[in-house]
Amino acid sequence: MKREIEITAFRCKACGRVHYPYHDRCLTCHKRDFESVKPEGDPQLLTYTQIFNLPWGFDVRFLVIGVVEFANGIKAMGQIHVDSLEEIKLGMQLKAGWEPIRVVSGEEVFGLVLRPA
Amino acid sequence: MRDVAIIGVGMIPFGRRDEDSLLDMLAYASLNALDDAGIGKKGVDAVYVANMGAGILQHQTSVASALVDRLGLMPAAADAVENGPASGASAIKNGLLAVASGYYDTVLVAGGEKMREVVGWKATDFVATMTHPEVEYPYGITLPGMAGMFTRLYMAKYGLTHEQLMAVAIKNQKMGTLNPFAHVDMVITKEGIHDSPDAVVNNPVAADPLHFYDMCPVSDGAAAVILCPAEKAKEITKNVPVIIAGFGQATDTHTLQEREDPTDLKAVTLAAEQAFKMAKLTPKDVDVAELHDAFTVLEIAESEHAGFFKKGEGGKAAEKGETGLNGKIPINVSGGLKSRGHPVGATGIAQVVEIVFQLRHALDKKRQVKNAKVGFTLNFGGFGNNVVAFVLRRSE
Repeated sequence: MKREIEITAFRCKACGRVHYPYHDRCLTCHKRDFESVKPEGDPQLLTYTQIFNLPWGFDVRFLVIGVVEFANGIKAMGQIHVDSLEEIKLGMQLKAGWEPIRVVSGEEVFGLVLRPA
Repeated sequence: MRDVAIIGVGMIPFGRRDEDSLLDMLAYASLNALDDAGIGKKGVDAVYVANMGAGILQHQTSVASALVDRLGLMPAAADAVENGPASGASAIKNGLLAVASGYYDTVLVAGGEKMREVVGWKATDFVATMTHPEVEYPYGITLPGMAGMFTRLYMAKYGLTHEQLMAVAIKNQKMGTLNPFAHVDMVITKEGIHDSPDAVVNNPVAADPLHFYDMCPVSDGAAAVILCPAEKAKEITKNVPVIIAGFGQATDTHTLQEREDPTDLKAVTLAAEQAFKMAKLTPKDVDVAELHDAFTVLEIAESEHAGFFKKGEGGKAAEKGETGLNGKIPINVSGGLKSRGHPVGATGIAQVVEIVFQLRHALDKKRQVKNAKVGFTLNFGGFGNNVVAFVLRRSE
């Protein structure tokens, strides 16, 4: 079953700036009142990399990681599931899901997973 | 505020130092600095110790207290300073303010890191703990990965090329062979890392679009400086005092994604501007600079954001040799982090030590910038979210 993307961003009620992750004060106007915002639409790929020297907790040859922007302005990092970097390019639309990104103490950790649309 | 001078410096060769503990390395560098200042048998008022990871890597905390005990410097005040890879410069800044305020007269600032006693994935993971714990770290992003994403954007916006990145790597590895403190002692060529069929093996992709030779090594090492009021420097030491003419420090968002323009290293610009303003100097006055080239792209981007070149011109300048020993602005003629190595807590202090050597005119002519009078250092914490800069001036 497809999971909902468990990203909650925070829109400043005073100036409208969207924050992700959470900040206690708006990074633009320093006000403290926010409303929760969920990602909308297919995200656009802003930048990406493929890394081969991995930190603790990943039993894979490499990871492709990128930053995307959703239609309502939320920017987030995610793992990109592709076999080759030739499948992606800057600015392209991706499909977003909420899937396992690593295993910690035998438990799957879920996060943003992206694939070419 | 009093002017503050650096009257003693000490370093040990960076590299893999299996025989030495973190405290051994901090002690050796500190003793070298105390002896260099001519106060090897005396005490100091305060000690600041820069270290990022002993709590994780060595399961040891309170390293400043441990160092004063090791050196018999009690009852000197002692504090540890942690600011990621900019811990070293932050510790010097704390020492500088303590002396400038008039509260302390002689201060030892030492920085060290022992990173090679853990396996590679653990060292990578340790450095990655600087990333945001909820929205970055869980995905497996590393600092090389952050640099890879930054490089892709820089290439797209400014036309930065692999050839320009290679020019930095080749220059810094060549200069590192001339530095007895450097971790890496190996000249590389474009043929070996790019043109030859063997290049895919010699220089594989590490964090696309960055390759192996775009990265600094993981190192053990330590460095130290002694500070005192400039007005008292010549009473204490025979060395040519080097004045900390200006410093700056600025921060930026924790995540790269929240920056309006992720290619704009605002904290670098602000820290450098503050340092130059305080020193009443400009980038054009600088004779030699040490920038934080943990990745080749950073030397280029920092050279632009600190004001040595216009945006988009730093890569071209590196390729034309303008950042070499005899270039328009010699950058990282120590070999930089790329060759000297990057024991994270030591790096910001090692950069200052190198500039002090330069301003004393104490180096071999193959590495000495002729008649250098003004130097600049930039220590880059996180991925540009906490940056410290210094302008140093040879005392007349």
